[in-house]
Amino acid sequence: MLTKIVSKNFEIPLSNTLDVALKNGRYSSLKSVFEKEPQELIDIIKESGLRGKGGGGAPTGNKFQIVSDWQGSKYVVVNADESEPGTFKDRQILLYDPHLLIEGIIATCYAIGSNCSYIYVRGEYEEFSDVLQAAVDEAYEKNFLGNKAGYLVDITIHRGAGAYICGEKSALLESLEGNRGHPRLKPHSPEPEFYFGEPTLVNNVETIASVPFIVQNGAGAYRAYGTEKSPGTLLFAISGNVNRPGVYEAEFGVSMLEYIEKLGGGVRNGKKLKAVIPGGASTPILPAHLLNDARLDYENLRALGSSLGTGGMIVLDEDASMVKALKNLLRFYHHESCGQCTPCREGSSWSDKILDRFIDKKATAADLDILKSLSKSMNGKTICVFAPAVSGVIDGFLKHFEEEFLECVK
Amino acid sequence: MSFSFNTENTLKIDLLKKRYPQKRALILPLLWLAQKQESYIREDAIKHISDLTDIPYMHIYSVVTFYTMFRLQRPQKRVIEVCRTLSCELNGSQSIKKHLDDNYGQDCEIIEVECMGACSGAPMCTIDGKYVENLTLEILDEVLNVN
Repeated sequence: MLTKIVSKNFEIPLSNTLDVALKNGRYSSLKSVFEKEPQELIDIIKESGLRGKGGGGAPTGNKFQIVSDWQGSKYVVVNADESEPGTFKDRQILLYDPHLLIEGIIATCYAIGSNCSYIYVRGEYEEFSDVLQAAVDEAYEKNFLGNKAGYLVDITIHRGAGAYICGEKSALLESLEGNRGHPRLKPHSPEPEFYFGEPTLVNNVETIASVPFIVQNGAGAYRAYGTEKSPGTLLFAISGNVNRPGVYEAEFGVSMLEYIEKLGGGVRNGKKLKAVIPGGASTPILPAHLLNDARLDYENLRALGSSLGTGGMIVLDEDASMVKALKNLLRFYHHESCGQCTPCREGSSWSDKILDRFIDKKATAADLDILKSLSKSMNGKTICVFAPAVSGVIDGFLKHFEEEFLECVK
Repeated sequence: MSFSFNTENTLKIDLLKKRYPQKRALILPLLWLAQKQESYIREDAIKHISDLTDIPYMHIYSVVTFYTMFRLQRPQKRVIEVCRTLSCELNGSQSIKKHLDDNYGQDCEIIEVECMGACSGAPMCTIDGKYVENLTLEILDEVLNVN
């Protein structure tokens, strides 16, 4: 079940150092990259069906094309803000194969015509960004980066400072420009992101780290894995009430229950599975009885009323209180709302406070209605998708576990 | 003495200036350097960064207060941050927090924080910024008593 493309070198000792990385194939794709025209590379990425692995699942090739076609001095920004609860996959790349990411950045910069890249790493990941910085320094020394490289690419690591919202790409760019991380309004027609007004590509670490395999082995080799619409693999992660929490790469489309059993080691202490939050906290929770045929790909989870998100599963066993779980998540959103839009700022805080009354078993029937109406007022009325995600989280818990909330009504 | 960057940091800043298209982008990196240097962000450091970047003091102050990791006060004690988000809570973060409060509350500043991206090592905390994962009360005692 384990399928290693991005995680191929993770277990090799000292895989973060250039010597070991070179011996294990890192930077070997660059020869074939530079032999091709940039447009050929973009076409290969399009054919491969590679989708953004940060949660959205947007077609990567199309993004490359849009930035490539736009006039201006281009930037490649790698999103390593990884703050979605349940998600801890990108840090594995930073720690165990940073040269794969650097190789991917070089190929991506060449494909879209950029010479400048930033890696925005969440502030808490200081130890991991130090490992990444050491790898970047080595890549400069050996002229994979900088002025003496065959193709000029500069990589600068930019540390965030503790703000979940900076994982949202436009908030990330605001932060990278030296501002508060407030998301920007979205355009009506497709256009790139902009860094100081210049066209910019923003992609997740794992997406960029998937580029070397694809350009080296071809779109077909990538499509050999996964499903028609969700090709390739993902660094799925599993945590919560399981025996072997961790990050295990697998093809899209594998059975969720099999993944939990075989790779996650099954539910801990022989307990029964109660529910799974499939792709990071912001994806609606799914109760166990819906999961018999659940498959880990974008389409299947969408059909079940949730989303694949980042692929970071949080497993809850039969003892888990759904009221406490929702309280935990709403406290998170309350804390992390950037405060820019009123429905989100007020909605996340109010719903968090209402949950306290359920925890204390002092809720009234009206509280449940207020919670539902807050959820409605947050959905689709804000600049970014933070508030709609909170709304989806609330709706998911109430749809599948309303009886547990009713038990807390006095 | 009013705040200024030490020689090592000044060299770093010279390199960083070449990497960004506008001085404004230096705000976060400079704040990090200032915090590393003094262990917190002094008010005159904000003024100094304002001078270096030609950005108003108030903008920089607003940035400092937006991000939770910037500190405007010097930490008096060792800082322990305990993750409280779902995967950690399901794995007993509350008993970790209680144990810390009961036994180390006097000597350490104990803060609850949101997801640190270490859910496979739940429950976890950081001690002065360093990740300690797969916590048990015993491991916690061991780590805190050794250091």
